[in-house]
Amino acid sequence: MPKSRRFFSAPNKRELLLPALFLAPALAVLLALSIYPLIYSITISLQQETAAGVTWGLGNFARLFSDNFFLTALGHTFIYAIAALTCEFLLGLSLALLLNSQIRGRGVFRASLLIPMMLPPVVVGVVWRLMLNPNFGAINGTLKQFGINTESLTWTASPKLAMLSVIAVDVWQWTPFVFLVLLAGLQAIPPEPYEAALIDGSSRWQTFWHVTLPLLKPSILIVLLLRTMDLLRVFDQIFILTEGGPGFATETISLYIYRTAFRFFDFGYAAAMSFVLLALTNVISAVYIKFLQAKETI
Amino acid sequence: MSRKVAQSIRYVLLTAALLFSLAPVYWMLTISLKTEVEQFASPPSWFAFTPTLDHYYDAFVARGFGDYLLTSAIVAVTSTACALIIGTLAAYALARFELPWRLNRRLSLWILSTRMFPAIVTAVPLFLMMRDLRLLNTRASLIIVYTGFNLPFVVWMMRGFFADLPRDLEEAALVDGDSRLGALVRIVLPLVAPGLAATAVFCLIVSWNEFLFALVLTQTDAAMTLPVGIAGRVTQYEIKWGVMSAAASVAIIPILVFALAVQKYLVRGLSMGAVKG
Repeated sequence: MPKSRRFFSAPNKRELLLPALFLAPALAVLLALSIYPLIYSITISLQQETAAGVTWGLGNFARLFSDNFFLTALGHTFIYAIAALTCEFLLGLSLALLLNSQIRGRGVFRASLLIPMMLPPVVVGVVWRLMLNPNFGAINGTLKQFGINTESLTWTASPKLAMLSVIAVDVWQWTPFVFLVLLAGLQAIPPEPYEAALIDGSSRWQTFWHVTLPLLKPSILIVLLLRTMDLLRVFDQIFILTEGGPGFATETISLYIYRTAFRFFDFGYAAAMSFVLLALTNVISAVYIKFLQAKETI
Repeated sequence: MSRKVAQSIRYVLLTAALLFSLAPVYWMLTISLKTEVEQFASPPSWFAFTPTLDHYYDAFVARGFGDYLLTSAIVAVTSTACALIIGTLAAYALARFELPWRLNRRLSLWILSTRMFPAIVTAVPLFLMMRDLRLLNTRASLIIVYTGFNLPFVVWMMRGFFADLPRDLEEAALVDGDSRLGALVRIVLPLVAPGLAATAVFCLIVSWNEFLFALVLTQTDAAMTLPVGIAGRVTQYEIKWGVMSAAASVAIIPILVFALAVQKYLVRGLSMGAVKG
């Protein structure tokens, strides 16, 4: 779209007053609620309370490297993110490919698959506490009906199965999102490349690999980017399901920061850790965005 | 493999996916309607039980969940209204006025980037700020925080809707002597009303579902939202499963209504217009 079509007339001083007035409230709110807190957070991360009073320095950041709890929480976050992302992507892509063909009642399927991801995360936590409860949960109850011994299957209460359980819950909730975005991407692909592939005599697999996948790549990258950012910061469902336990088995970095700040009231250290999470999120999304832009220039 | 077989396999798989999505939610619904004896029945009864509304009465009349529900509604509606007003003005400026120094693009990207911070990163300083302002345990603190949280989303969505709109109508209104603000209110807003409504619904959903800020900023009954109220019951030692399920089931109702209302815009909304480009 040429510039002159899109915008009103060229700027002069009078013309800029109105947009400035329109933008001012939004910029003020964002400065107060995003930028100021960030600066505030930097200053508290540089302070440590000692017996002699508050000292300034990088002490909180130095602590990170020798804090095994922090490193373990970081490891858990990566395991959680990678496992959930892989499952959600593969399942979501399969579902999208399945539903992209002519199917009666597609609207109903689509609407129903949306429900898990729209639910409040706290409700998701409650739903799965009820499903996974070793005493009256539907999962163990159903397994028992098939004659399976469920004594050791205590799910979120078991150190071995807790991580698997919280990952499964994430997959349950967020696969539909991956599915939706990829389905929208699939439906935006024009029919011509497929017709060409058909004329060339490509097999279904070849068509998928050489036509569908490359054309779907922007959607794939966007959905992976959005999911990765959400997975790295996961808090709500795990808080309800296990509170990071049993022991430390499902403690992710957001939970550890929460505990440090609001249970131990060590705000400086919590702020320092939150910057590690922020940096991690930024670096990983920058990589995705680079891939995305590389694609667009071709 | 014939087409018919392939098609039936599709339906079987889809039905399985559907059951997998919905059965857990349905299970919670049954727990909220079962007596405490029936909740613990083995094998689990999915259909055969005598429904009772006792837990709903217990949660919303006898216990404080009615107040939490009210707080959730007030916070969600007020913060959505604030974010819509502030955000729509900014979006209009970004979509319709050519700003110097390529500010249209730069400001849009900067606004979007503020939404990308992990919540816990801002939760720590926001807690301290609200403590200094003596706003902890007030609905106002949540309204303020959610307004800021939803604002980038409103700007980004509405900017897209404004950009999609041909500007001839506005120009006609301007020629007829309408002011810019007049043209925005009388001509443009009615045209983007569906987009505005969809954006509003998204903000309502986000505010309604939000948990971490509510947990950090409100710990007393005076300003507790429904999710925090439910979470408080979950982590106690003796858990009233029926009460909790009843509260959680009620928390779902507005979400279901909203989700159906914005189905069309869902993908665009959830990926903030990124998919559409």
